[in-house]
Amino acid sequence: MKRVATYCYQCVAGPDLLTVKVCDGVATEVEPNFAAAAVHPGGGKVCVKAYGLVQKTYHPARVLQPMKRTNPKKGHGEDPGWVPISWDEALGRISEKLLQIRARGLLDESGYPRVAASFGGGGTPQSYMGSFPAFLAAWGPVDMGFGSGQGVKCYHSEHLYGELWHRGFTVSPDTPLTNYLISCGANVEASGGVAGVWRHANARERGMKRVQVEPHLSVTGACSAEWVPIKPKTDAAFLYALIHVLLHEAPRARLDADFLYRHTSSPYLVGAHGFYLRDPGTGQPIIAGALEASEEHVGLETGADGEVLAEGRLQGETAFAKLVAHMKPYSPEWAEGVCDVQAARIRRIANEYLGAACVGQTIDIEGKTLPYRPVAVSLGKTVTNGWGGFECCWARTLLAALVGALEVPGGILGTTVRLNRPMSERHKSVTPGPDGLMAYAFNPTDPQHWSAQPNIRNAYRSMVPLAVDGPWGQALGPTHFSWMFLDSTPPGLPRVTLPELWFVYRTNPAISFWDNDALEERMARFPFVVAFAFTRDETNHFADLLLPDATDLESLQLIRIGGTKYIEQFWDHEGFALRQPAIAPRGEARDFTDIATALALRTGLIDQYNASINKGALGVRLKDFSLEASQPHATEQIWDAVCKAASSELSGGTESHGLDWWKEHGLATRPFPRTAWYLFPTLAARGLRFEMPYQERLLRIGQELGRRLHEHGMRWWDKQLAEYQALPAWKDFPGEWERALVAMGRAPGEFPFWLLTSRSMQYAWGGNVGMQLIKEVADNVAGHGGVIVNTGRARAMGVASGDFVEIATPLRSVRARAVLRQGIRPDTLLLLGQFGHWATPFAKDFDMPSMNKLVPMSLELTDATGSGADIVRVALRKAA
Amino acid sequence: MTRWAMVADLRRCVGCQTCTAACRQANATPPGVQWRRVVDMEFGEYPQVQRAFVPVGCMHCDDPPCMHVCPSTATRKRADGIVTIDYDLCIGCGYCAVACPYQARFKVDVPTFAYGAPTENETACFDAKRIGVATKCTFCAERIDTGLAKGLTPGVDPEATPACVNSCIANALHFGNVEDAHSNVSQLLAENQHFRMHEELGTGPRFYYLWDKAP
Amino acid sequence: MNWLQKHWDARAALNFMLGGTGGGLMIAAALATPDSRAPILLSLVLVAAGLGAVWLETGRKLRAVNVFFNPFTSWMTREAFAAVLLFALGAAALWRPQPFLPAAALAALAFVWCQARILRASMGIPAWRAPQVVLLIVSTALAEGAGLCLLFTTAPLLLTWFALALVLRAIAWSRYRAAARSAALEAPGKGLLQIGTVAALLLALAGYVVPAAAPLAGAAAIATGLWLKFALVARASYNQGFALPRLPVRGTR
Repeated sequence: MKRVATYCYQCVAGPDLLTVKVCDGVATEVEPNFAAAAVHPGGGKVCVKAYGLVQKTYHPARVLQPMKRTNPKKGHGEDPGWVPISWDEALGRISEKLLQIRARGLLDESGYPRVAASFGGGGTPQSYMGSFPAFLAAWGPVDMGFGSGQGVKCYHSEHLYGELWHRGFTVSPDTPLTNYLISCGANVEASGGVAGVWRHANARERGMKRVQVEPHLSVTGACSAEWVPIKPKTDAAFLYALIHVLLHEAPRARLDADFLYRHTSSPYLVGAHGFYLRDPGTGQPIIAGALEASEEHVGLETGADGEVLAEGRLQGETAFAKLVAHMKPYSPEWAEGVCDVQAARIRRIANEYLGAACVGQTIDIEGKTLPYRPVAVSLGKTVTNGWGGFECCWARTLLAALVGALEVPGGILGTTVRLNRPMSERHKSVTPGPDGLMAYAFNPTDPQHWSAQPNIRNAYRSMVPLAVDGPWGQALGPTHFSWMFLDSTPPGLPRVTLPELWFVYRTNPAISFWDNDALEERMARFPFVVAFAFTRDETNHFADLLLPDATDLESLQLIRIGGTKYIEQFWDHEGFALRQPAIAPRGEARDFTDIATALALRTGLIDQYNASINKGALGVRLKDFSLEASQPHATEQIWDAVCKAASSELSGGTESHGLDWWKEHGLATRPFPRTAWYLFPTLAARGLRFEMPYQERLLRIGQELGRRLHEHGMRWWDKQLAEYQALPAWKDFPGEWERALVAMGRAPGEFPFWLLTSRSMQYAWGGNVGMQLIKEVADNVAGHGGVIVNTGRARAMGVASGDFVEIATPLRSVRARAVLRQGIRPDTLLLLGQFGHWATPFAKDFDMPSMNKLVPMSLELTDATGSGADIVRVALRKAA
Repeated sequence: MTRWAMVADLRRCVGCQTCTAACRQANATPPGVQWRRVVDMEFGEYPQVQRAFVPVGCMHCDDPPCMHVCPSTATRKRADGIVTIDYDLCIGCGYCAVACPYQARFKVDVPTFAYGAPTENETACFDAKRIGVATKCTFCAERIDTGLAKGLTPGVDPEATPACVNSCIANALHFGNVEDAHSNVSQLLAENQHFRMHEELGTGPRFYYLWDKAP
Repeated sequence: MNWLQKHWDARAALNFMLGGTGGGLMIAAALATPDSRAPILLSLVLVAAGLGAVWLETGRKLRAVNVFFNPFTSWMTREAFAAVLLFALGAAALWRPQPFLPAAALAALAFVWCQARILRASMGIPAWRAPQVVLLIVSTALAEGAGLCLLFTTAPLLLTWFALALVLRAIAWSRYRAAARSAALEAPGKGLLQIGTVAALLLALAGYVVPAAAPLAGAAAIATGLWLKFALVARASYNQGFALPRLPVRGTR
């Protein structure tokens, strides 16, 4: 028996460090890597999903040799007619196709890349695809904007606005210190991974009060001190009322006036047209003498495209004063009518938040004195997504700013950057931008640089200035456009085309995206799809080739760990961990690096491929350990070089441990300063301010974008342009979904329920529905067997636990067993996770639907960032 | 004296079922046989509702009803309190399973595997002795015994600690000797308010649930 | 949460049904047909059939002898010994009804008593562990056994014994019902009272005059008794589930 150290990064809340017990060459058991306990923020423990890896390895339905499709017809009901082929034939077919494409040009007649690739799970497949990123980099333009959930179904507004305001692609409370947390739908116990669960349990034991604001009593709600069953999609109103209490009911002295004045754009004077008053000489915003002031200055007011709107002696009001006036109508009494939460309760929560904020207090961390503000607001997926997401993110960031709890100990923290560079270091991304604010590489909206010619099909560069150009911008664009516009591209954009070759890995958009039926129909038209396949599934049902990559416990890769990363993954250490074969690959499964090298060789790209590896495509610049560029290298050789470079980086050049050392040790780390969790000191040191509360830049960019679009005859984005506001107003966000019904000629009353989804910790991101163990243990958690309905409401409808019910929109319906629970609003239904499988072995027998089948891809329900929300109005009736 | 006990901190448990999965794997139990699991419970009526996650399994009672009813003497109690089953004696009558108030006992009459036919890992771990007999949580007695033989402390050293405790990502499950006043579990019990499941039955379960700090 | 045990299904229920009726028959026979061998044989066949049924439910059938290993605390072991005694004395009674039949009847009573205590000791099942279950199981055995014995004789002594057993069973059921409150037993309980007690008593009364009515009374008593016992073992056998006397405090209250 031996124990092999490796990692699991099946979900964004990873990686978890584990060991695999191997007996006589058979992997039998997953255990935490106890050697990591001292450096891992979750005690070195391993999430439940990792325990499914043994079953995954030996799954009887695994694809164990390359397969080709023999039935040229593609469709839901068509048998692909898979027949096994050799690796040589499989790679030959792909490289032949790639070489043909290369000969004709990497871009097609519309200017879109002929090759597309989709990877799932918030970037986690990259921890399994070995050197494939180097192959893609060597290849050239690839369209990575065909969504499978990322982009439009993630924490979308948080990703974009979070990065803009505080380099917070994901935003987390500083859980080790936070004492009061308002959690609007953030289901951290299901989505925060081991570190999230561990830390929040510590926080609870310490006495942190968490108020869970959510229409159903989630796992996180269960573990909270208080549950506020809010009406779906009204979180912005709730948060606005909290701000109202802070601004209009609490004494001003209780806010962090110093932070607001010195470290935010609050004292910037705003002119009559809504833009900053600027110094005529420097062009810089004029800062008032007080936080709340109205002053007259000689200046100018510049609007979109540099137009001077006013000049001379101009009257201006501070951004903060504008904010105070803006928030006046949003009283708790007003919010009660919107959110179905009592005004007194909202007021109490606001005052508890304020009381817990410790304004004026400091804390010493690693010898530095920092502000101590142990209050935070966290936001969940459907809250930060689609209409209302911007308002919620703004309100949350503002709530932190008002008490100085932004990027300081105890407050809210951005934990990673994905759009700003460098990705591995948030603090280095804090560079000076205009107006004393952080720089942000918006996609251009000025007449010279804006382009109606997108680089990829989802047109993120043209439509979403916040989705910074780059691979993550591609994934964070309106990724449903790639699918939606295949049939009818709206005016102004080049006709959206089918990619000539589509790589698919660890993603199943036919299940995980909206409107599954429509997606299937489009996928069936893709001419050549190469799917790296673990088992058959609903997406690779439409593929032309299935390639068996060596799975989690069979292949080799080194990744970065620690530092600050997604969600609760901010560590006191940073370093690297190795994933290594615990057992030999089963069947003919091949290590992904082998596959990538073979493709590079066959397509004549080996030089570029090696150069890309040397430049750091595998996570570390190889520098002194660079590979010789002109020849292929064995997988172990490649990772040996990566290991040495990583070792050298970690040790400051004193060590260069190779692969054998890493195989033995599994991981290596060095301390990561806790002060690096907090961005505030960096901003302060660089003399930069947080862009709160006033969004002058967004206002300008929105106006400019509108002009560009209109100049090109593009009027179909006008509704979204309205989101670009300096101070966002509450709009009837739930009404968006009611109006969608009216647009279909139906009355909202016919579809009286809000159907929501919620993460299942056992499944989220894991691609593990085929694991019997996971299914079995997940079934211990309520809701995995059907749709959760309020007990009282169900009984009134004559629905008993276990009865089949039909959940219907005007267009489609699904059947599910009723799961009666008290912990859900009577007007809300909940379908956990994403099921509805029909091809994935084992999972296809679950008889458990997904809301995805019911949610349309709709321009009307797309917000300005290009995202939608997992919510839909439905009818419920007892099924025959 | 040694009396092994499990302590579950209900304030910390999130019902993630990691312990359930770890136990299934470490003990190679067949599908559906969950020696350790976490029950998802709801209390009250909307909107005054609470939900709790409660780890359950064999409570290794001081006065185990399963042992008393067992006609074959397969179920016994060790000096350290662990309730054991001798698979060579058990006749699989199921009486212990109906006598246990904690739904802790299982019996599988035919070899059962995750996907029908056994996979390589299932073949490697299959134990024919467990077919047709009662099985349940052993507190991972083998780990405890081998760990003790190596001078390790169960509940502290992972190698000597039950798999569920090792796996717990909320640090909600603890294991140790309640007869030792200085042990981890004794300290937890001293510092917190706790109860045991169905104490009124007089079984003396050695599974304690923490629910609040000591006043 | 309230989990219906599946370890004991119809096969185990048959042991209580056939074993109880068979045991009751031996007792009734000792009273009413002291010299007849047929009831003795039938009693033994029924008890054996019941034990055979439950043996089919065990996981390790070839180790059945291990059932005798724990007479100190296990009522199942005691039941097995009582069964051995019953078969020995029953066989002797078949050879020479007197003096062995009364002894066999005592063994039968012991057997039935053990069966009752088996349920009583099942701490996980509230419907079984209720103390009132003991009298219920014993009285149903007596009533069903007497009812079956009416096939062999309708002598007034047996009819009187049968009537007394019916009344005792009805009382036992009422007391048990009040204590156990099992929804799954409501329908069979109602049948037991209406058909198995009231109708059976009326038919038994008629049996004093019209002997042909007596077996009908017996049939009514047996059918309803078996139904109740089947439901008790296989349908009302919910584990008590889990309960928290205190709910955990999550963070600050």
